[in-house]
Amino acid sequence: MLKLYVGKRSTSSWSMRPSVLVRQANIPCEEIEVLRDSKDAQSLQYSVLKDSPRPGTIPALQDGDVWVWDTLAIAEYLAELFPEKNLWPQDRRTRAHARSCCSELHGGFAALRQFSNIPMNSDASMAGAGDIVLQTQAGVRDEIQRLCQLWSELLQAHGGPMLFGAFTIADAHIAPVILRMYNYGVPMPADVQAYAARVLKLPGIQSWIKDASTGEDIANVDE
Amino acid sequence: MLKLYVGNRNYSSWSMRPGVLVRQAQIPCEEVLIRFDSFAAQSQFKTSLKDKNPVGKVPVLEDSGLWVWDTLAIAEYLAELFPEKQLWPQDRAARARARSVCAEMHSGFTALRSHCPMNIEAQLPHIGALVLRDQAGVRADLSRLCQMWSELLQTHGGPLLFGEFTIADAYFAPVVMRMRTYALPLPADVQAYADRVWALPGVQSWVKDGLAEQDFLDFEEPYRLQR
Repeated sequence: MLKLYVGKRSTSSWSMRPSVLVRQANIPCEEIEVLRDSKDAQSLQYSVLKDSPRPGTIPALQDGDVWVWDTLAIAEYLAELFPEKNLWPQDRRTRAHARSCCSELHGGFAALRQFSNIPMNSDASMAGAGDIVLQTQAGVRDEIQRLCQLWSELLQAHGGPMLFGAFTIADAHIAPVILRMYNYGVPMPADVQAYAARVLKLPGIQSWIKDASTGEDIANVDE
Repeated sequence: MLKLYVGNRNYSSWSMRPGVLVRQAQIPCEEVLIRFDSFAAQSQFKTSLKDKNPVGKVPVLEDSGLWVWDTLAIAEYLAELFPEKQLWPQDRAARARARSVCAEMHSGFTALRSHCPMNIEAQLPHIGALVLRDQAGVRADLSRLCQMWSELLQTHGGPLLFGEFTIADAYFAPVVMRMRTYALPLPADVQAYADRVWALPGVQSWVKDGLAEQDFLDFEEPYRLQR
């Protein structure tokens, strides 16, 4: 049985990506939430993940004695393990395009990552905060504009309902961004808004949001 | 014919990764230099890229009308196009590990990247010493790299990280350039690996083209006033 170690669900956008992927694709996988107490070698997170070649790094996927870390590498590994799930688009050129979108989000969008430090707070309604962020932070505004344009083009090119037609890794990869934009009331063009609504209704996302909003106290340090 | 658009070879660490990959694996590919002048929207760099790549960045790979951007996506695309080149390790577990370390490089090692920018032609050992003394983040990045490389070399028996040359070695080649420029001290096994990467024909050919540029871009030069 695969094991996916994730961080605190209500705030960890990197953990959300592989988790939404396994949930939405119905991949059998045990998910273990590891709350980050500190980054020290003595921390709980470190001790839970001490067998990983990259101890303490979350998210991490364990498959027997194979450890895979970092969202993109986990996604590629799952795509190889479950070819019948079509986690990437089937057409090679479309697949290359999907990987470009994911890879760009993984390494770029520096301003948006600051915005991403704002907790996802899937249980808190912060509508209105998005307007303030857009007005005061030009970098975030430009990056959101670029993303909306990209998504719009993809929806048009592939006819929806998801970015590349059916659900793929790309949708899982942008899910945390969509969730934040939605929670913070960031204005989006109509077609992107409709796409965001469809993403948020995906069973894999709904189940993550449900788990993120139950049980855990709000960590003051992240607010 | 594939076309790879790259930035200044002396400075552009992201361009170097796919550049070294196609050179070392002898993948037929035309390399097109788009010189950095500035990163402003109206710069010659941005305008000449605009039609080609909506992101306005290098590197970008073109395959008859298809634009693939970002180093990881380019590497995956080339690995799919040329399975016989074995750009990723053949074993699934090793391949997963190779992808993990590449992804870690892709989004991590920010202290090393910002304090020791790639500048192949420069020799800055005194800067390296100061950075190591003052920047705990750089020390942590360096120690993680040494630990990672040492472990992989031991597991796979060298000469490269996963035995033969793979995407992972191309991915860390710019780090080797930084280690040389800033004379960062390395344990013997890691130093030997860095020397082997430096000597790879694909790396040497990139370095040769980089040294031939003789360009000085002040926004890429936190530590030098002139060449």
